[in-house]
Amino acid sequence: MLNKPADIHKDYRKRTMNMKADHSKKPATAMLGLLLLAATLLASPALLAAVHNIALTAETLPNGQLAYRHSNGAKAVIPGPTLFAAEGDTVNVTLTNNTAVPVGFKIPGQPQPSSAKAQPGQSKNYKFTAKKAGTYVYHGNNGKEQLGLFGAVVVNKANGPVDRYVDDNGALIAVNQNDLDKQYVLFMVGSTFWGTEITSDGNQIPLWANPTPAAVLDEIVRFHVLSIGPAHTFHLHAHRWLKEGTDEIIDTKLLVDGADTHAFTIKAGSGVGAGDWQFHCHLISHMEAGMHGSFKVVAAGGDGSAIVGASPYGRILLGTEDVPGLVTFEVSDEPGSWFRSARGDAIVNLGLDIKTRSLEVIGPGSSVNFVMSDTNGVHTITSLLWPTGAHHMPFDQEKAYKGGAILKLDTPGLYVFTCKIHPYMFGAVIVDSDQTIGLTGVPTGLDLADASQNRTIDLVTGLTNLPTSSDLAIRLLRTFFVATAKDNWQRYGEHWTVTFPALPVNITGVDGLVLSALNIDGGVLVPRVPPSQPGVGEVWINTQFEKTAGKTKPGTITVIDTANWTVKRKIALPQINMNNPHNMWTDKSQETIFQTQWFDNKLTMINRADGAWIRDIKVGDSPSHVMTIPDTDVITVAINGENGIAYIQDVNSTEVNRITPTQPAGHVQANPHGHWITPDGKMVTPNINTSDTGFYDGDTGQILARTQAGGNFPKGPHPIAIGVGKDKIYAANLLDHSISVYDFNGNPVPVAANGGKPFINLIAPYNPITGAGALDSGILPIQTPVDPTGRVMVTANTGGTITVIDTVTDTVVAVLPCDPGCHGVNFGAKAGGGYYAYVTSKFSNRLIVLDVDLDNPANTQIAGDILLADSSSLVAGDTIDDTVADMAGMGGQGILAVPNVYNGWVQNIAAGSAETQGWVNVLTAGQKAAVHPQP
Amino acid sequence: MKYGLAPSARADRAQEMAIHAPSTHPRLLRGWAIRSASVFALSFLLFGHCIAAEHAITLTAEETAYDDGLGNKLLAYKMVEHKVDGVDITSRYSSEATIPGPTIFLTEGDIAHLTIENNIPGAHDNPPHVGISSQVSIHVHGVHYQIDSDGTLKVINRVADEGAGVGPDDGDVLVYPYTWNVAPGTAGTWAYHDHNYMTHNGAEQKGLFGAIIVSPAGAPQYDKEYLLYVTDDAFWGMEIDGVSKAQTKHGVNPALSAARGDNVRFHLISLGTDIHEFTLDGYRWADPGTTNLINRTAIGPLEKHVFEVTANHSAKYRDKNFTNNLMGMRGEFNVE
Repeated sequence: MLNKPADIHKDYRKRTMNMKADHSKKPATAMLGLLLLAATLLASPALLAAVHNIALTAETLPNGQLAYRHSNGAKAVIPGPTLFAAEGDTVNVTLTNNTAVPVGFKIPGQPQPSSAKAQPGQSKNYKFTAKKAGTYVYHGNNGKEQLGLFGAVVVNKANGPVDRYVDDNGALIAVNQNDLDKQYVLFMVGSTFWGTEITSDGNQIPLWANPTPAAVLDEIVRFHVLSIGPAHTFHLHAHRWLKEGTDEIIDTKLLVDGADTHAFTIKAGSGVGAGDWQFHCHLISHMEAGMHGSFKVVAAGGDGSAIVGASPYGRILLGTEDVPGLVTFEVSDEPGSWFRSARGDAIVNLGLDIKTRSLEVIGPGSSVNFVMSDTNGVHTITSLLWPTGAHHMPFDQEKAYKGGAILKLDTPGLYVFTCKIHPYMFGAVIVDSDQTIGLTGVPTGLDLADASQNRTIDLVTGLTNLPTSSDLAIRLLRTFFVATAKDNWQRYGEHWTVTFPALPVNITGVDGLVLSALNIDGGVLVPRVPPSQPGVGEVWINTQFEKTAGKTKPGTITVIDTANWTVKRKIALPQINMNNPHNMWTDKSQETIFQTQWFDNKLTMINRADGAWIRDIKVGDSPSHVMTIPDTDVITVAINGENGIAYIQDVNSTEVNRITPTQPAGHVQANPHGHWITPDGKMVTPNINTSDTGFYDGDTGQILARTQAGGNFPKGPHPIAIGVGKDKIYAANLLDHSISVYDFNGNPVPVAANGGKPFINLIAPYNPITGAGALDSGILPIQTPVDPTGRVMVTANTGGTITVIDTVTDTVVAVLPCDPGCHGVNFGAKAGGGYYAYVTSKFSNRLIVLDVDLDNPANTQIAGDILLADSSSLVAGDTIDDTVADMAGMGGQGILAVPNVYNGWVQNIAAGSAETQGWVNVLTAGQKAAVHPQP
Repeated sequence: MKYGLAPSARADRAQEMAIHAPSTHPRLLRGWAIRSASVFALSFLLFGHCIAAEHAITLTAEETAYDDGLGNKLLAYKMVEHKVDGVDITSRYSSEATIPGPTIFLTEGDIAHLTIENNIPGAHDNPPHVGISSQVSIHVHGVHYQIDSDGTLKVINRVADEGAGVGPDDGDVLVYPYTWNVAPGTAGTWAYHDHNYMTHNGAEQKGLFGAIIVSPAGAPQYDKEYLLYVTDDAFWGMEIDGVSKAQTKHGVNPALSAARGDNVRFHLISLGTDIHEFTLDGYRWADPGTTNLINRTAIGPLEKHVFEVTANHSAKYRDKNFTNNLMGMRGEFNVE
């Protein structure tokens, strides 16, 4: 028995209305409709097969996101226009690209004749046949899909029911298209829902980001849940429905990585009544990241209208509509632009000296959206500072993940976000209390904090009510504008300036301070001379931000010849698109280099002698540091984005042997960063996510002790690197500006110079209000090794200093100047005895060499520096495997001196070639034993 | 009127029987068109009061002894009391707070009245930090309940802070009651979990999770049932004896046991942030809701996957997720 005729007519008409550009099928008159209807009743469904001709354009939205517009639609929308067809129909899409990037039209998993992309200003035709009923994703097929180039294709059966729902008595009720009171399309992208309502008469209403769909009790509502990008599970409270293609009743459904869909039908409030029923992704990190909304079911007679979410056209800088707005940051592996506004280029081009692509301005009540669409790593979206009194702060997730985040910001002021795994990724949003719609010129003063709170800010470490006029606040602002603007980085040999935006801001006690007043003219940066005395062997440097022409991801290894202090080799590994190489170690033979890809999931092995790639091993998300166990040569990798240490058997292995957890089951994961292995075989990890230092059996992984780190501030010390002395172990606490001190069993060791507290305070001289003492402090310490004899600890402080600590007294005995983003330190042998400490900086292109005085640590001095940028003397295909394209020599992080002369390893060297044996031969007896005669 | 009281629920059950799935035929249009006085009347003859049971359940939440070495403890639910039509069945549960929490067996047509208490230290201390919740709740999946039994905070449900402890909007709540209508059509295995502790997301990942198993009336019994919560770094499970209903072997990657030839049922529910791939070496089973035989399944947070097998060989159950596989996320299924 078929539907009653009127239903078919309505169904047909509805589909026609959804296909507004459909010329071949549009009925001229009602009579034609009736004729078609008669045919339907008499003939097979194939006769109904229609051809839909649809014209789409791709557009750039005011917030920089990309979106499709239907030719009959008023504007481009996210999700894109929902396309309806019946089984057997043919759909022709003409796409005109009005954006600045190539855009395509692809339905994953469906055959289609053309995968070509329309170039900017051009049009392309696409055609597909709706073979099988279902809901499908279409997307832009250009790598920018997650920025908004996605939509749904709904293919219904040519006739008969479109779905079944579970009634409140348990019955499964078939529904036809005309039974549907409304449909919702909900796209799960990043950690945000993007919605469209489709009314019963076929109109499509954009609901934008994290909307509130609604219905009147007992209305029949069909949901089309789709995803593009990382996986999600969709859950709607208090409702249940059928898993497509089965008789299984569910209330939660996985949408797998890539593109996936799930369509289901419910009777609103069936068996449960009216209410604000939450729907959300059930991945905990995504829940924490804001991926939820309400399905509002109102009683009969109530207003079942959906509530629109945050719109890319709304109240943001240069927005066009007076509705809640949305700005979007793409999370990226791109140096400087780790949180890149979707309209970053447009903001830079405003002519306001804005050099960063990581700054956005919105009105109160608008939202900020993050999508991890341009990264291979896992991340968190973590508030670093915010206006005192701000709602929804702090914002954080317990566990690093793939996805995104969305949050609404109400309180005026500056919000800076970071990633806990990669804590120099920064994005900033200014919520300005003034009207920001249509702002094209210079505003009167952007709010850096809330006027009702004396314009103070709070920090993630628990510091509260910090005036925005304070040295610390200004220093943090400067850090942001340097880290996120490569134009502000230091190029030795060139003129250095730091340019702040020509934007007036309101800070504590000052209205309309133009940020340009903070500009720095550093003059021409003159490199000093290289050290007068050679080192031994090579120094391998991760120039992690250096871009080369042959790959999309950044990062090279720059190898220095310490005999003459020249750049000997650069290794980019374009064949594997090596991504953000962060830290290295070598095997006993000194012939294989182990390299982590910190924004990826691999460990790379490289042949030391010629820089050739050997193999990649998948190890886990965002591997940070690698180190061998000295006697066994087992390779250990800190899985910074996850919860353990990966063990690889040896240099010939092709896979991870096991991963040992850094915390007991069920507990917050530790996310270890820069681990170290003691000479007696203990694994020590700085656990960034749990604020402790972990002590583990190096062979079994058994947890021996976990001890709190930090102490300068109430919370969030962020221990990041370990140093091992003779009888003490140290952990540098990035956000606590301190170094925790432990014995080899993990017990805290009181530091006399710090009143018996178990940490060295690196900012004791610093006054955060006036700035006095900053140059004598270690602000934001990172790598912190102790020399091989165990006497001197050298710490790179990203605030721009190097601190030298005498491990006998655990006091800072010297502070030396470094560059912005000072980051890596490691020791190598100095010719004739003793050690150099090599120091890198993220935002400069040189290597600093310290001559470490083991007798009198206070006398440790800068011996010279070496430019990492110059690759002109290298030979393509021989000593360089790609062409340096941008950020030459920048991003200095991991350092490895070969031969590896650290205590534990130097005694186990089994040189693998004449070259390395030659280096070992010139080591002194003291260097070979990692001991130094005491004065 | 909707459902709400037992008579109409029974009527609904009768209706379900009358038009049981699969009901893809286009004749079955809207539910209300079918519901008729005659079906309603028939239901009284077919199903008496004896079928629907009334459950009175009291749960509490506690800290566990599990410590991460830094003094941070996991949380867990404990069954304080469970009576079915007045009969106390509390002894089938552990006397300790467990992870997973007590597995609650229900039958379609039942009504469950639950009460949650909160014995986590500090739960009733005033006042919490702004926006911070000390409440513990029970948010259940699958069964019917009204908005005041959602087990969420007021910021979500617009009604109340629906848990025990100090909530951000409603102050201290000593106990909070929920009513679940285990209506026809809710058969299946479903999660319950906290939704209120600390934030509006709750602290389900701290151990505050358990399962309900809803059976249709007259459903077959199993020799053993196993609950395995597939979390980000371990299976948290338990074994349930088919005869005594005793719940044992709680905890991480439990070694499950069966006698050869036993008819056993696995209940998987995932929770956390990771997506998993579950396998049980050498076994195949029907993909739920289909007749397709499978030997592995992807499962994401708060999905469920229930299957039965005949125990015929010992095997390991595993998560093949890259990191979890390397970390040894697996357990024994011992068949003797």
